[in-house]
Amino acid sequence: MSNDALQDQVLGHADEADGIEEYDNRLPRWWVGLFLFCVAWSPVYAVHYHFVGGRSQAGEWQQEMDAAAIRWPQPTAEQVAGLTVTPEVLTEGEAIYKTNCIACHGPTLEGGIGPSLVDDVWIHGNSREQILGVVTNGVTEKGMPPWGPILGPEKAFKVAAFVHDLGTGQP
Amino acid sequence: MSTDTPALDSSPAIASEAHGAVNYDDAIVKKFIIATLVFGVVGMLVGVILALQLAWWPANLGLEWTTFGRLRPLHTNAVIFAFTGNFIFAGIYYSTQRLLKVRMFNDVLSAIHFWGWQIIIVAAALSLPMGLTQGKEYAELIWPIDIAITLIWVVFAINFFGTIAVRRVKHLYVAIWFYMSMVLTIAVLHIVNSLALPATLTRSYPVYAGLTDALVQWWYGHNAVGFLLTTPILGLMYYFLPKSVNRPVFSYRLSIIHFWALIFLYIWAGPHHLLYSALPDWAQTLGMVFSVMLIAPSWGGMLNGLLTLRGAWDRLRTDPIVKFWVVAVSFYGMSTFEGPMMSIRAVNALSHYTDWTIGHVHSGALGWVGMSAFAMLYWLVPVVWKTRLHSESLATAHFWIATTGIVLYVVAMWSSGITQGLMWRAIDDAGQLAYPSFVDTVLELMPFYWIRLVGGTMYLGGMLVGCWNIFMTARGASASAASAPAAFAK
Repeated sequence: MSNDALQDQVLGHADEADGIEEYDNRLPRWWVGLFLFCVAWSPVYAVHYHFVGGRSQAGEWQQEMDAAAIRWPQPTAEQVAGLTVTPEVLTEGEAIYKTNCIACHGPTLEGGIGPSLVDDVWIHGNSREQILGVVTNGVTEKGMPPWGPILGPEKAFKVAAFVHDLGTGQP
Repeated sequence: MSTDTPALDSSPAIASEAHGAVNYDDAIVKKFIIATLVFGVVGMLVGVILALQLAWWPANLGLEWTTFGRLRPLHTNAVIFAFTGNFIFAGIYYSTQRLLKVRMFNDVLSAIHFWGWQIIIVAAALSLPMGLTQGKEYAELIWPIDIAITLIWVVFAINFFGTIAVRRVKHLYVAIWFYMSMVLTIAVLHIVNSLALPATLTRSYPVYAGLTDALVQWWYGHNAVGFLLTTPILGLMYYFLPKSVNRPVFSYRLSIIHFWALIFLYIWAGPHHLLYSALPDWAQTLGMVFSVMLIAPSWGGMLNGLLTLRGAWDRLRTDPIVKFWVVAVSFYGMSTFEGPMMSIRAVNALSHYTDWTIGHVHSGALGWVGMSAFAMLYWLVPVVWKTRLHSESLATAHFWIATTGIVLYVVAMWSSGITQGLMWRAIDDAGQLAYPSFVDTVLELMPFYWIRLVGGTMYLGGMLVGCWNIFMTARGASASAASAPAAFAK
């Protein structure tokens, strides 16, 4: 702040402010600059965001999804159809189960919030294809979320294979 | 006795004026001071319990009334409306009478305001642990209590504006403008946000639905911060800070410009609480740019406070009141810079929903509000009890314990919040979430939660030291007044 901003002349209101004197010093120049900069920047940002840059929340999400699709391409239908159940697939399926499913279906698949996967009752069928369908699309009215968009087809296949193997004893 | 003792040379309760003696009502100020301290300890103790619960879950005690979800609104309501509310009312009732050279408009209204406010606080402290809530943050209280708040606020408004109407000065000092902005705006915010259709005595349905409800709620929530935790305390700063150091306010024109800029800009910034939500993009932009424009008006208040201390900086080393003001105003400047930064879309994408927000509000609440409260109280208590502060060294000890506590708290929450935000968005080599299980992130934060507990406990400990000091001050005053009533006769 430059010295000429400091005049330190009291206004003389003190008798009407319980004895508190007030100077009427000029506004610090850097403060005025900061204020004007923020006020000028705001419409520039708003116009740029909405009209020049054409940005939007939905557009931002789409860009991220497009970039992810290029970096991590989803396996093709042929690749998924070509997957077979091997001991490695079952081990990976178990890891996926522990990360995503354990909270509702329990550490030994005994059930909890969600139904048991090791008893004789199969509400939505017990073939591997039927289990994969439930994992992928969910049963939203019962609280089972669709895991297809989260896990992708390959992981969904692996975890369904693991559940099928443990639940029915048929790999 | 030295003549520069602030306790004895300023504004005696009976002032001889050209208009004749004014008999100021200081009994109401004392009542609000006592309520400030009692509810301050309660509110912060509940805060410490919550911090313990987050670090060590068995502290929930397995009882529905003591779980985090029930106690958290109790903590926020107690600190915002009970501690801060009573502290603001104490300062306003003291300074308004002096600045306008009249006693409060009506003693009965003052009493109704005081007791009504305390009954509301007790009702909140009972209803929230019972699980009775409207589910709106900082506006949880059920509709009968909301109506009581409205009525008591109107009583306060009549008393306050009535005092202005019968004032014996022409010029309204800057502190009064800030108080007026609070009285008007809080009334509007509370009534509009709490509009609901009662179903039973304890249950109601909001008149707004979905996104409208969310937007009204955060218009309220953000401006409760603005007009309860900011503008009235700036008003108190404009009165008590120059009083404490006996220096002129730095700049009258800065006070005018930052006041009008602050209250005009604040009211638009609420949508920054709803960035990356269902709120339309244009409304998100509005909330963001008005927040950024708020930096300079907020700093205007900080500058006028700090620059008023020019010529009194030597007292920073010796006077605990100056220490409290400097840290309070500095935290105000820090958190009013941090807030606009967090309103920027790219920053908010990381910070939103994390502990960073908790750190931000506590640098405001503990740093600005809490330290301002004790800066004011250490000056005001000796004045209204007509004595000297019991112990300056205890006040200094309080200052250091509290300041260390704030730093631990805020640094722990910054670290925790940024860790949390980065873990939530981390993606592994296969394009999957690196920490798909929320528990993974929580376990990582445990050390920070323990540090936060230590910081919060220190702040509460400092507060208890302050309460003891103020209690001994008041007790010493009544003892000496009883034994030597002639001491103040001259």
